[in-house]
Amino acid sequence: MVRARRGIGRYYDVNGWLFVAPALGLIALFMVYPIAWSLWMSFQSGRGMTLKFAGFANIVRLWNDPVFIKALTNTVTYFVVQVPIMILLALILASLLNNPRLVGRGLFRTAIFLPCVSSLVAYSVLFKGMFATDGIVNSTLQAIGLVASPIPWLTHPFWAKVLVILAITWRWTGYNMIFYLAALQNIDKSIYEVARIDGVPAWARFTHLTIPLLKPVILFTTVISTIGTLQLFDEVYNLTEGKGGPSNATLTLSLYIYNLTFRFMPNLGYAATVSYVIVVLVALLAFVQFFAARERDR
Amino acid sequence: MDNQARAYLPRIAGLALAGASLLGVASAQAKEITIWCWDPNFNVAIMKEAGARYTKTHPDVTFNIVDFAKLDVEQKLQTGLSSGTADALPDIVLIEDYGAQKYLQSFPGAFAPLSGTVDYSGFAPYKVELMTLEGQVYGMPFDSGVTGLYYRKDYLEAAGFKPEDMQDLTWDRFIEIGKQVEEKTGKKMMGLDPNDAGLVRIIMQSAGQWYFDKEGKPNIAGNAALKAALETIGKIMQANIYKPANGWSDWVGTFTSGDVATVVTGVWITGTVKAQPDQSGNWGVAPIPSLSIEGATHASNLGGSSWYVLESSEEKAEAIDFLNEIYGKDIDFYQTILQERGAVGSLLAARGGAAYEAADPFFGGEKVWQNFSDWLAKVPSVNYGIFTNEADLAVTAQLPAVTQGTPVDEVLQAIEAEVSAQIQ
Repeated sequence: MVRARRGIGRYYDVNGWLFVAPALGLIALFMVYPIAWSLWMSFQSGRGMTLKFAGFANIVRLWNDPVFIKALTNTVTYFVVQVPIMILLALILASLLNNPRLVGRGLFRTAIFLPCVSSLVAYSVLFKGMFATDGIVNSTLQAIGLVASPIPWLTHPFWAKVLVILAITWRWTGYNMIFYLAALQNIDKSIYEVARIDGVPAWARFTHLTIPLLKPVILFTTVISTIGTLQLFDEVYNLTEGKGGPSNATLTLSLYIYNLTFRFMPNLGYAATVSYVIVVLVALLAFVQFFAARERDR
Repeated sequence: MDNQARAYLPRIAGLALAGASLLGVASAQAKEITIWCWDPNFNVAIMKEAGARYTKTHPDVTFNIVDFAKLDVEQKLQTGLSSGTADALPDIVLIEDYGAQKYLQSFPGAFAPLSGTVDYSGFAPYKVELMTLEGQVYGMPFDSGVTGLYYRKDYLEAAGFKPEDMQDLTWDRFIEIGKQVEEKTGKKMMGLDPNDAGLVRIIMQSAGQWYFDKEGKPNIAGNAALKAALETIGKIMQANIYKPANGWSDWVGTFTSGDVATVVTGVWITGTVKAQPDQSGNWGVAPIPSLSIEGATHASNLGGSSWYVLESSEEKAEAIDFLNEIYGKDIDFYQTILQERGAVGSLLAARGGAAYEAADPFFGGEKVWQNFSDWLAKVPSVNYGIFTNEADLAVTAQLPAVTQGTPVDEVLQAIEAEVSAQIQ
């Protein structure tokens, strides 16, 4: 019988390495190599397949590129506005649907979760149709007298942004809600019973018990949603026919990378540089969020 | 394995072998040429006609014509070329003239040179020039995008205008008429997609300017034609005589559904306009309105495209021969696609055909092709350069500012700044 080796000895076990070698090889080929290559590419510049080493030229170009600034501002706007709305909405929905006396809560849970299993493209196309100038949303709003003339959802810079935020909120709220529901089931019911006996009103129970107890889950969903929003692409691409319009108002960093690679004079080097901006942003924001939400020792 | 099965084994193996060799023979003989293009009423339909003609004399060649949106064709092509593997690419692809040099310059060796095979002296020189790189000519020149003003005679008549009133307009007059049309008929004058700078390009080129000068340097802040074009769009938007559209199909819907009175665009839209048989006789065509600046004409160009053969294609020889036989020589083919689809080809010899003299009942018996042919000769020539996509996006980004009344000079500065940052 072979005894498990301890410490450094385990590190040198050839059999162990053999077992993980195929996985390591695949990771090296499909993850490490592309990452290293894209980093190398971000220091090159040129048209299409004719790339040359350019040093920090691409990074300098970022500062002077109004479209990049616009895409960055839009992306930041999306997650500053959308993530809090969605997280709060998901929390409220989760606590409502956690009520055991609610009739048909299984149905409600399914209905709210369903959007996030729908196809990204299908729902974007659907939204595009619903929010067209003479689409169902505008005609409904007009019929019930909320607006006098149709809202230019897709042709006005402000409303186009609102539409994108509406779309991603619709799709992802249910997804976050499921995390909260799962976490809520793990909270000891006696805590709420005590609070109720002490006469704590429902809203205070929500803000002083539910939210603090869900803090780790809220942190997790915030980080995930932030990363998701930073990579926002499909919705904008499909709603605006790949243009990020009107007036670049819905252009995101991902869509800009796509344009730089596949639409404009292809500049793979510069596109790689913009991709690394997202990498840096994700890393920074995740760090800030962990820092802000860390458990302080007394 | 029992004995019976053992006895059958050689036969099964033999059958399989025979089947495989049959398949092998079949694939060696039949050549399938895959073609990517956009617009089912125009390019796709025309390519089907061309393919049918070629198959008559070459029964071993079949065609697989794939219909994508234009944006998708361009992006799929660029994705395939950037990846460096040609497996996913077609044999022939349609490329809009604005983008030709971009592809030729940034993917050297990706396209098959056709000089030597095709007699380019028979084609409109501007068309050949834009597909020439370092002495080699790539591609088969196809359609021209000479522009016209398509208008609904019935709507304009209801507003008190005769066809004569639509000839040689200025843009200011066009807007005036638009206001009256809406007042009298409730119809908007035109469909407009604020995400598409096509109309800006039409108006700008009609006065002989482009985003770039002859050397390919940006020509934006001091470009009088571009300035006048933006001012015109601003007036159209402020007068609110347009129906907003989001994207191409939405824009096409504005006139196929009968919601607007006019369409200002390239001649290639004729097939789409005529796809509504119930509107036959209601349409007329006039020259586009002109600007009131120096060099202004009533003729311009929008789009226009050409066919390119991929160097990596396995059916390269057949694809080149096909293009040369049909698009390079077949005069009768050009007559057919002109009458059926409104394709004004760039093979000069095709211009002498009877189709150009014919009157079109859809347009109330007007000799529209003769008109388009005349206007084509008057289109001011400009250098499209290699960054039209970038400039276009910079323009659409600023269109809302124009509508909100931002001084056009400021807008031009912003466009120039964006374009300069993009073209490196």
